Amino acid sequence: MASYAKPLARRKPHAQEHEDPRELLMHDPLPRGQMNAMVMESMHETTPIFWVVAAILAVIVVYTLGYDWYVVIMQGQGVTGELRPDYWGVFLVNTVFWIGISHAGTFISAILRVLKIESRRPFTRAAELMTTFGLVQAGLSIFMHLGRVWLVYWMFPIPNERTIWPDFHSPLMWDLMAITTYLLCSTMYLFLPLIPDLAMSRDRTESGWLKPFYKILALGFRGTEGEWKNLTTAMNIFAFAIIPVMFSVHTIVSWDFAMATRPGWSSTVFGPYFVIGALHSGMAAVAIVLFLLRSTMKHYKYFLRPEAFNTIGMLMLLVSMAWAYFYFNDYIVPWYGGNKWDKILQEYTEKGPLGYLWFTMLFVNIVVPWATLWNKKWRETPWLLAIVGFLINIGMYLERYIIIPVGVTINRMPFTWRQYYPRIEIPLTIGTFSLFLLLYMLASRVIPLIPVWEVQEGQEAHMIRKMGKAEVSTLSDME
Amino acid sequence: MSETITLLAMFKDFEPASEGIEKLQEMGLTDDDMNVISGIPIKNTILGRPPAITYVSRIGFMGALMGVALGIFLIYGIPYLYPLLVGGQAIFPVPQGLIITFEMTMLGLMGFSFIGMFVDSGFPSYTPKEYTPEISDGKVALLFSCPTGEQEKFVDALKNSGAESVAPVEARQL
Repeated sequence: MASYAKPLARRKPHAQEHEDPRELLMHDPLPRGQMNAMVMESMHETTPIFWVVAAILAVIVVYTLGYDWYVVIMQGQGVTGELRPDYWGVFLVNTVFWIGISHAGTFISAILRVLKIESRRPFTRAAELMTTFGLVQAGLSIFMHLGRVWLVYWMFPIPNERTIWPDFHSPLMWDLMAITTYLLCSTMYLFLPLIPDLAMSRDRTESGWLKPFYKILALGFRGTEGEWKNLTTAMNIFAFAIIPVMFSVHTIVSWDFAMATRPGWSSTVFGPYFVIGALHSGMAAVAIVLFLLRSTMKHYKYFLRPEAFNTIGMLMLLVSMAWAYFYFNDYIVPWYGGNKWDKILQEYTEKGPLGYLWFTMLFVNIVVPWATLWNKKWRETPWLLAIVGFLINIGMYLERYIIIPVGVTINRMPFTWRQYYPRIEIPLTIGTFSLFLLLYMLASRVIPLIPVWEVQEGQEAHMIRKMGKAEVSTLSDME
Repeated sequence: MSETITLLAMFKDFEPASEGIEKLQEMGLTDDDMNVISGIPIKNTILGRPPAITYVSRIGFMGALMGVALGIFLIYGIPYLYPLLVGGQAIFPVPQGLIITFEMTMLGLMGFSFIGMFVDSGFPSYTPKEYTPEISDGKVALLFSCPTGEQEKFVDALKNSGAESVAPVEARQL
């Protein structure tokens, strides 16, 4: 007996089923010269509001990272809220948070490049830039925590007056090696695909200080076959190699905690849990940055289309689910295990004076993304995705706060228990956020944040083909 | 040996550029006599060109080996110079050694791939070169050398293949 496929219901096709592929960036090419001109114009046309905001941020940065940090250095860590047992406070929360933010660049750029996800093309650089500037903030935060910053060379493998060399048994030394490797490699990875766009900018800048700037950084690139071959080979090596480095960095950050035998920290799941947490905050931060770029930069609506936000939104939803899974793993084992100190810490976290932070964290990290990001239309709404991203970042900051200062409050010596209140750490935290924004704003004036040549390459490779009743997008193998 | 002249042919797209290359090959020019300059990377088979040779991966591999050596030196050399006992762990620990060696290997691999890209491409180079900014606007340029006396023949052949312009080019400051 023959069987027939029948529609489940006779209904009007959903609007999303009739998407015109021509609305996608890859199928809506402009003449390349025009596209280049648009990117140059977006860099060079600046409104007075931009400079007012930049000036305010600069003042905040100078006051906080200049004056407040000077106070910490001159008067010692006593001016912070760090006191027994809370020797690890907001500075380390900031360090972990910023390293997390830095993971987004690598994740988006490298993993999506390796997997050949085409919608990545217009926003890889915006994400890569977050990696570099995020790591700068992480480095500053760890220096703030270090206190006597002038003695940092004690961690280098060079003879010094103490005749003590670095101890590679310590996770803090692993951290130094991993973060340094990641900072150097991600900066090189940012620079490589930038070279052709710097050459394009060099060709279109007639005079002024930017002309020598582009000329020097473009290195004399013309686009010969050999230059392209060398560049794409190096980019491929980086795309594959930087992924395990990215995983190693946040795993090692987690070992700073997990290698200690403290209640709440000594966990075997901390490595992957921290990596997923980093991606959770990083992806969310990319959504915010893309929304800001699209709203403020001229012509960026052409490049940053709903499809880009859809890709980010899907990744945010996926990562949110993975984060919930790992969080539950990290929660259930000590809960079931019945260790006295773990139990006390869990009760303090949930029912103690800061219990509202724990509930807020769960709500914004799980409920908010799950309730919103399942819907494609909502994922494609930039402002909505940015709000979800903002809330997730609040949640992820709280998560680090709960793990670090709240976590160290409860130890095996109850007579030392004391709630931590940050003091000068607050302006210094504001300082790192301001510096991140300021660096990003200034970079947007000199660096093409859209990887134009990659967009053009993608547009060249994509075609629309008629199949049956529909027009579908096809991709040629040009790489 | 006859004198040669360097010409730059500009094409609107890959199709005529590949035809132009074929034409030059038929007229006796070898692949080494010509070079394609473009605003985006083009697969060599699209233009009928031999694959470009790159040493970047080999240089990167050498860097990775040096990274392994550096990692092993750090993890075993330093405790040799200053032995420190921590929590009953071995002075020369293997697990920690894997972490440091991994980081140094990856740093070596990527650092040397980066340097390799510079070395193999001859970057940075600020000397005058044959180039026109139209290339980054989407044009495909074919740079080739031919005997001075036969210039007209090559120009006509390329124009018939769809070249928008074919003209002698002088190196200019980028």
